[in-house]
Amino acid sequence: MNASVVTVDALTIDYIVGAGRFRAVSDVSLEVPEGHVVGIVGETGCGKSTLAQAIPRLLPVPPATIGHGRIMFGDVDLVRVPIWKMPAIRGTGISMIFQEPLNSLNPAYRVYDQVAEAIQIRRVREAGRVPVDRRETPPFDYSRRPQPGAGEVLSKPIIPSGTAAQAARRAVPPHPELRDEVLDYLKLVRINDPETILDLYPHELSGGMRQRVMIAMALSEKPKLLIADEPTSALDVTIQAQVLTLMKELIEEVHTSILFISHDLGVIAETADELGVMYAGKLVEFGPVADLFENPRHPYTKALLRAAPTRYKSDGPLDSIAGSVPNLSRPPPGCRFHPRCPLAQPICKVEPGPSLVAVEGVASGHTSACFFATEVPNLP
Amino acid sequence: MGRSPSDLAVFIAKRLVQLIPVLIGITILTFFFTHISVVNPCNQWFPHAGAGTLANCRKMFAQPGYIQYWNYLTNLLHGNWGASVSGVAVYPAIADGVPATLELVLASLFLMIVIGIPLGVIAAQSAGRWADHLVRIFYLSGWATPTYLGAVIAAIFLAPYLGLPSHGEYSSSPPPFPQYTHMSVLDPLLSGNLAWAGDAFLHLILPAATLAFINMGIATRMTRSSMLEVIPLDYVKSARMKGLSEFWVMYKHALRNSLITTTTVLGVTAGGLLAGTVVIEEVFGWPGMGAYAYTAIGGGGNAPNYDGAIAVVAVFAVGVVVANLIADILYGILDPRVDWR
Repeated sequence: MNASVVTVDALTIDYIVGAGRFRAVSDVSLEVPEGHVVGIVGETGCGKSTLAQAIPRLLPVPPATIGHGRIMFGDVDLVRVPIWKMPAIRGTGISMIFQEPLNSLNPAYRVYDQVAEAIQIRRVREAGRVPVDRRETPPFDYSRRPQPGAGEVLSKPIIPSGTAAQAARRAVPPHPELRDEVLDYLKLVRINDPETILDLYPHELSGGMRQRVMIAMALSEKPKLLIADEPTSALDVTIQAQVLTLMKELIEEVHTSILFISHDLGVIAETADELGVMYAGKLVEFGPVADLFENPRHPYTKALLRAAPTRYKSDGPLDSIAGSVPNLSRPPPGCRFHPRCPLAQPICKVEPGPSLVAVEGVASGHTSACFFATEVPNLP
Repeated sequence: MGRSPSDLAVFIAKRLVQLIPVLIGITILTFFFTHISVVNPCNQWFPHAGAGTLANCRKMFAQPGYIQYWNYLTNLLHGNWGASVSGVAVYPAIADGVPATLELVLASLFLMIVIGIPLGVIAAQSAGRWADHLVRIFYLSGWATPTYLGAVIAAIFLAPYLGLPSHGEYSSSPPPFPQYTHMSVLDPLLSGNLAWAGDAFLHLILPAATLAFINMGIATRMTRSSMLEVIPLDYVKSARMKGLSEFWVMYKHALRNSLITTTTVLGVTAGGLLAGTVVIEEVFGWPGMGAYAYTAIGGGGNAPNYDGAIAVVAVFAVGVVVANLIADILYGILDPRVDWR
């Protein structure tokens, strides 16, 4: 087993809106092993985006509050890091791709400025760590990146101060080189005419192009963990396929650890190594993608897989899951899925579902939060 | 594209052409207000004049109004801006006053930008918390202060307390250097006279700060509300996710987009700033257009100076139009999505 980049441990997040309290994420534990792509799938409102934004502490507080739990990034618990120190983790530590490429690039700056800014931040941090006289600009090679532990990142100020800062700034190469590196990253995301794109503003680009620029920007910081929050959901279908292909190719090339959030099982199936299924704020099943698709061990996962359209089932009505997603301000007692569950027994109405436990007869690492996981294969 | 320099030139030219009907309208309004509102104008204008002058004057007023206006306008275009009742020409007085007022207004604008806008950012960052309330109290109290009251309080109570001068441009006069620009700080600097420049700067602080305090509210408020719209957007989050510190996220990424709104509003406040100079300059003895306007409309027991009043209003109108033109140009520079049209 690889060391994990980020370990989420019993994380609980509430939104306090007026008098209401919505438990958006409840007791979620999750691990992203180094170099792996971990997918999180679930319906709209199941808490997957909240989870994604909670890891780099991007949630606005209030209304969101992290109730309890830990987010271990290396040897640092991000929940305990003061918020003003988080910039040191973000970027080179954790980077993010957002859902809406229309909104995720700043409309006031050119593509060059935005990508170059990200590269500059990384360079200053790298220069701050490596002795200036021994430092050389590394050739563009994604596999060779000096990455310290998060503890070391944290101990450095965001921008080094005093003489160290001056040295670091001097060590940052001047613009022509920076421009080349920006071009390298635009080429990495398969932008055909990067020289032209450089000088354009986001509103002059198509949605797919903007998402490519966003991906280039996120990757240019060489993050230890990349969080992709539904990177293809807002794009139309053909562009979605292109960006997805790009993501798949980049996953092969870049070997970064990725937390991939999506509501689209097909997207996850093509990209992820492990998959977690979320329902009403809880992680109900987790396991290697292939095994989870083959042998789902939670009735919700099973129903979700049946509801997904496939090319083998092009005629007849699509299956849907009876009932609707529970109101998170008043979740049902017991297991949150029981009102919609074909396997529900009296115990499900009183006892909250068990935490993820290994299931017999499936691959190792495949866990389910259902009392009757072994009966799931008998479902139609 | 619609964003090339030639497009900008066409844009500016068009806006300047629009200035012509504005000026005609403004002069018509003020001309007829000043000439119709006066009962028996000749006796009022020339109380001690001889019979000949009075007869000339009555002959002039016997003409129809539009001919009187046409004569005034042709004089204006020939550079003859008229004279006050006591015979002091309007044009030189205005030419001296414009730079002094411009200096005062620019100094206030500077304060509004470097204090008012950051206050708006702070208010937005701490929306609903104590810093937000403090900022609101600050700008609302400025907003609610009548100019005459604020100016008098600043001149009488604050000036001795802060040890700042509260009258005129310099501590003594006349200044020992040529007044090329008639801007009190710039002139000594041009002559390399730092002591006088410092003195002029101290004299500028109170009137500029008072004018800024009274007019700042709108800039702070607009910055706050547009920042509140921008901060939740994804590109602010993606700026945070780059690892930028909160300061740069706010001032480089969020504020840059909020300024688009604030700039437009700052252009609109130009009218308020110019109107404010009428009282501020009179109270602080600042030799600009505002003080001239005050005496021209008969303030301080002076005889009304109708030609002067019309000219001041027209120059203020030009100022407002140009300020809004500059705001629109800045708007286009700040927002790359805007075409010059």
